[in-house]
Amino acid sequence: MLAEHEAGEPSAVTDHLAASGTPLSSAEIRERMSGNLCRCGAYNGIVHAIHEVAVTEGVTVR
Amino acid sequence: MRPFPYMSAPDVATAVREAGARPSTKFLGGGTNLVDLMREDMERPDTLIDITRLPLTEVEELPGDGLRIATLVRNSRLTAHPLVRTRYPALSQAILASASAQLRNMATVGGNLLQRTRCLYFHDEAAACNKRSPGSGYDAINGFNRYGAVLGTSDACIAAHPSDMAVAQAALDAVIEVESVRGTLRIPITDFHRMPGDTPHIETALTADELITAVELPALPVAANSRYGKVRDRASYAFALVSVAAALEVEDGTVSAVRLALGGVAAKPWRAWEAERILLGAPATEETFRLAAAAELAPAVGRSKNTFKIELAQRTVVATLRQLLTEGSAA
Repeated sequence: MLAEHEAGEPSAVTDHLAASGTPLSSAEIRERMSGNLCRCGAYNGIVHAIHEVAVTEGVTVR
Repeated sequence: MRPFPYMSAPDVATAVREAGARPSTKFLGGGTNLVDLMREDMERPDTLIDITRLPLTEVEELPGDGLRIATLVRNSRLTAHPLVRTRYPALSQAILASASAQLRNMATVGGNLLQRTRCLYFHDEAAACNKRSPGSGYDAINGFNRYGAVLGTSDACIAAHPSDMAVAQAALDAVIEVESVRGTLRIPITDFHRMPGDTPHIETALTADELITAVELPALPVAANSRYGKVRDRASYAFALVSVAAALEVEDGTVSAVRLALGGVAAKPWRAWEAERILLGAPATEETFRLAAAAELAPAVGRSKNTFKIELAQRTVVATLRQLLTEGSAA
């Protein structure tokens, strides 16, 4: 998921499809994880964990 | 699940020849819908012809700025394609609004066009359904019909087409390329899906021995200013109650080009010809948008639990056009 975001691929909540470098917000994480683990890929704990990993990997988060 | 013969086609000619030699084959692409339906015993192909090794996986630029999308292009690759994001943003948005990341990674463009309705009664073996068992009846019409269609329905069936992608393609004048032993056909997407009439089990212009090989998007300058609006019961990973694909070009306050299609409201991706007719050449105002939306939905017939869709579809048309007017496209 982080790799797709880093490659500039948009999601359903991305405002500008053609732009790259969209910051990885909680809304972006939730939408991109939607459908993982049935519908439960966007629980708070999972979103926080992804945020944490994204920061250590140098991803621009918001 | 029933046992079934399986074969992998080495080339298109073999795929269509083998399909032509049997009465009811199915081609296997991503399998995200077909395999589920086979597990439910609702699809019973006499042979499954795997086409995933065919060289139909590229998005090509056509002379004059169109795109040719080969049938096996995965939804996720199509939506991320730079030329789709800039030339046809409504198509990118429509795909992103559909299913989940894993499903989009598997699902193919051709398969998306052929996916079956998610009507609860179609999937319930205990229910009467003219689409599943012709002539058996229509429990859906008097039952829990919240997800049912309101336009182009018949006394036999009110099932809605589930695709988001195809709604954007219907607005964008897509043409479907079909191959069989009889040669190549090019079918405009608006002629591809059928209205239910008395034969709701026949859903497209395709016969079992015909293979979708590509979807072509013509050069369409207005498409650069396009959006897809989707209203659903859950914010993500849900089918549309109502959706709208719209493209709008305004010159001196007047609509100079427009494309409009609706999803979730009909048995097919619904091209809003009447609304387009009213919009073209008219002032680009909220009032015109409302008049056009009302005219398009005028023939709609609501059932006990889906009458809300008639108003919701109009509001979604107006909101999407307003957004195109004030904010531009999603690109």
